[in-house]
Amino acid sequence: SMAAAARVWLAFGFSPEEAAGEPGPGPGPWRLEAGPEGISRVWPAWSYVVVDTGERPRPARSAGLEVRSAGLRRPLPGWAEALPSETHLVLRGRAAARAWPREAALRGELRDEPAWSRELPPEPRQPLPLLPGGFATPRPPFFTALPAGLRARRLVLGTEHVLALGAGGEVFTWGGGRHGQLGHGLLEPEVQPRLVEALGGVPMQAVAAGGWHSASVSEAGDLYVWGWNESGQLALPSKALAEERAREEDTGEQLAAEDAAFISIQAFPALLDLPEELEVSAVSCGSRHTAVVTRGGELYTWGWGKYGQLGHGNNISSDQARRVEHLVAKGLRVEEVVCGPWTTYVRVREP
Amino acid sequence: MAAPGGAEGASESPALWAEVRALLPRTEEGLTLALSDEVEDCVLPLLRRARALLYGTADRPGAAAAAGLERLSDVLRDYSWEKLNAGPWREIGKGWRQVYAYGCLFGALAEVAAGRPPVRAVRLCDLGLLMGAAVLDNVLARLVRALQPHVLRAGTAPAPREPPWRPGLPGAAPRGAEPAREGERPCLRGRLQPPHPALRPEEVIPHLHCPSLEHFRDNYLIPQRPVVLEGVMDHWPCMKKWSVDYFCRVAGCRTVPVELGARYTDEEWSQQLMTVSDFISQYIMDENSVGYLAQHQLFDQIPELKEDISIPDYCCLGEGEEDDITINAWFGPGGTISPLHQDPQQNFLAQVFGRKYIRLCSPQDSENLYPHESQILHNTSQVDVEDPDLAKFPNFTKAAFQSCILMPGQILFIPVKYWHYVRSLELSFSVSFWWS
Repeated sequence: SMAAAARVWLAFGFSPEEAAGEPGPGPGPWRLEAGPEGISRVWPAWSYVVVDTGERPRPARSAGLEVRSAGLRRPLPGWAEALPSETHLVLRGRAAARAWPREAALRGELRDEPAWSRELPPEPRQPLPLLPGGFATPRPPFFTALPAGLRARRLVLGTEHVLALGAGGEVFTWGGGRHGQLGHGLLEPEVQPRLVEALGGVPMQAVAAGGWHSASVSEAGDLYVWGWNESGQLALPSKALAEERAREEDTGEQLAAEDAAFISIQAFPALLDLPEELEVSAVSCGSRHTAVVTRGGELYTWGWGKYGQLGHGNNISSDQARRVEHLVAKGLRVEEVVCGPWTTYVRVREP
Repeated sequence: MAAPGGAEGASESPALWAEVRALLPRTEEGLTLALSDEVEDCVLPLLRRARALLYGTADRPGAAAAAGLERLSDVLRDYSWEKLNAGPWREIGKGWRQVYAYGCLFGALAEVAAGRPPVRAVRLCDLGLLMGAAVLDNVLARLVRALQPHVLRAGTAPAPREPPWRPGLPGAAPRGAEPAREGERPCLRGRLQPPHPALRPEEVIPHLHCPSLEHFRDNYLIPQRPVVLEGVMDHWPCMKKWSVDYFCRVAGCRTVPVELGARYTDEEWSQQLMTVSDFISQYIMDENSVGYLAQHQLFDQIPELKEDISIPDYCCLGEGEEDDITINAWFGPGGTISPLHQDPQQNFLAQVFGRKYIRLCSPQDSENLYPHESQILHNTSQVDVEDPDLAKFPNFTKAAFQSCILMPGQILFIPVKYWHYVRSLELSFSVSFWWS
């Protein structure tokens, strides 16, 4: 139908084919194959992606989720949400959450004993990785309890750190902090969830965690970033990228003069000025890149670009927010963005 | 005029490929891809694919295979690099460091297969030696030895961007520490360094000429007292051979970690990988800012240089094996400063050229030295030894110091945990031996 065809997912960057050592579709964007219902959600890992094909069970056998790796598509019948990694795949259904080793999941063989299992009460439902009483991780120990007082409505996982969005729009972080990714101004780890005080009084609507960086969007549409800026993933001046540009343009002399302005680690949240004071509606982080959707339905990306994950049709990293012109030129309005480690997936509405 | 690099490199590349290929196992099965501990399954097909490209033809891999190998090298290095950064260095599995080394190996071989000048291949080998763990009987060390004679001295190609040198490399803290919030960037411009303060007679560290093992043990090692040893390293070849020019010649194309900023406690302090020739031209010949090739196990990376030094006999008084002795190089201009800190092992600091102003303080005085409170800098004092803020650190005056100007040919014994402050007075090369 017309309505279904209008909901499309595009992807750019590192593909599951390339992760298997095969020739990929190129930097993209490529279109995710979809049935008549389109795809409602995607959960990317590095070498595979889980999608929700939206085919809700009328014939009892058909189901929503499907795991896709290089040349393979396997249904995951009976599951509603996914949390994938390169060691395990966590799936949540109506009454339970379970984890299987990646190999079993890619073969679609979920009949064996899971690596982890937890029965769930019927309601209420919060999105993974949140579970009643705590949160799931796609590797051992699979479940971590949260303090009873922390009422999280969203939770996201970085490589070494965790962000939670509280009921009142406050942000809590904990875990590894060597790259400033916790936003408390220190490089020390935190064992327990700790309120990011620097964001106090600014209610947030969304949080995102990259490999070693973090981002949040305020209810007013402002974007805050903190953590490691080694590839420009904070859209702050990166010394490594400036040196790379200087080598290409042979303007090395100017570099020393700018020296003081470079930022490697941003240990407190920084309010990011986007071009034309754009307001942000959604943010997602890859391992070393960042992507936001504006309220106008445009996609901006920055950070590590080696595998084409910024969508600018090249493999150049950027420490400045840049609009993805390809989507604008095609008249595609972006509704959602989900980054894989080295990949960016966007849900677009076709004109 | 001959074309730079290109033509010459191309003509010798079949021979170079044959030389390089001879370093690898004869058969594909011989290259086992064995890893010391478990890694994620997703990298295994990439390793096997790279190996298949390498052994796919009896001869040198063609352009397509070389390009495929290069791409696989990129993916393997980028993926394992993220794992190397996924926690404190000591907790990183050896398997991931081996995957990184394989990535570097395949990348270096792709360069040779493609017939390009081996500058980048040497750099990839060094990255693997610095951040990876040995694979295939340390093939990267053997490969770089074969490649190095083929690197033209002039015309070094610009290095492609690699991810930054990770803080917290192996080796004792504090030099692995990340920048702290304390400290001011000292103003060190030009070649004139501030002179060292006059040494007070009661502070002077005793000097001894070639003491016997027993004498050293009974009077210095067991009571844990510092001493300057003379005459011990007079016959080391480094005393005559080593110079800036010599390093350019034997190691100019090799990539090493360099500390930028006068002291590691400075806010602006960072580490960067660069070639020895770039380090020399930017920080030794031109002293606009301070760069220090510090606490680097150069002699493991470039074994030829190890032949120019010896391990002091006194190290046999320790309980460790000779292989357990950590040998570090310290090469920099005048004005490099190691803030007052302590290390967890006995140390012989051997001065090859240049002079260093050194102050020592017993671990019994630790409470008067105000160590940093953060975990990473806990073995470093907050006090600037040469300009102490006595309002902030009043007990510092109670600490009893000993001092020396370490001259070329002298070896300073620094007992375990002894606090030491070191400032180079001019262009300097020191070798430290950490032993237990």
